[in-house]
Amino acid sequence: MLKHTQHHKGISCEEAIKRVYDFIDNHLKAKARAELEHHLETCRHCFDRVEFEKLLKARLRHLKVDTESKALRKKIDELIEQF
Amino acid sequence: MVDNRTQLSLEDKQMLKEIVLPWVDDLHRVALQLCHDHCNAEELVAECVARACEHFTKLRDHSKAKQWLLRILTNTYISKRRTERTRQEIPLSIDADISEDNFSLFDQLSMPFILWWSNPEREVINKLMDEDIRRAIGSLPDEYRVVIVLCDVEGFSYKEISGTLKIPIGTVRSRLARGRSFLQKSLWHYAEEPGIVQSRTKKGQREHVETHATP
Repeated sequence: MLKHTQHHKGISCEEAIKRVYDFIDNHLKAKARAELEHHLETCRHCFDRVEFEKLLKARLRHLKVDTESKALRKKIDELIEQF
Repeated sequence: MVDNRTQLSLEDKQMLKEIVLPWVDDLHRVALQLCHDHCNAEELVAECVARACEHFTKLRDHSKAKQWLLRILTNTYISKRRTERTRQEIPLSIDADISEDNFSLFDQLSMPFILWWSNPEREVINKLMDEDIRRAIGSLPDEYRVVIVLCDVEGFSYKEISGTLKIPIGTVRSRLARGRSFLQKSLWHYAEEPGIVQSRTKKGQREHVETHATP
């Protein structure tokens, strides 16, 4: 099995981990993203880490609940009247 | 506050309603995520709108009303909590380990050589209840909770968060990293409590024994 440190011209695991959050939040620039994706193709550990962070982020996203509060909107309408 | 109450003209009030009312559901939703166990979400929205009424003239670009209102909401929330804390001496939820900002739940759970065919760390995340995750968000220090809620729950971009909270993108990034580290540490405690982690370990051990028992 190839060791991560031996990747020719590739980024190290340390560098990959630094980019994980920017990656899952979709804030990596094209070049940095391509480098990371290349690393993930060959490094199981970093790949698992990214999948883990993505899954956790998805669980948080899932907490978003649709609130439809007519009663509150009415209260707010009345509140503005007082000003 | 009382002094300002009669200053708004009918036109202003009408304008304010047009600006505020479409966003009440969004404000309420974010308030619910922030308040969990800490305060009353409807009250927070009402306070936010009251402040918006007082500072209405400061909003020049009406297309940025949502950001403006969310900024008032989060600022109101943070200052409310600060006042509560000084009054009741509520301790910071995560105090002992506040210096540690690179905790990784993955590193705690991942067992690359023992269970290389499965993903125990992903199983743990799947087993956590929504309520565990809400509690973990609720245990975050306020500044971090706000950023986590906006980014991970509401799906805002760094730029939107930066614009909403009026903090640099670099600060958004570092608060997110720290917030996530705190969050994962809390989740680690919740996973240990009901034995999510332990039952998995026992299962692993059993499998290990069975493998050896087979001739």
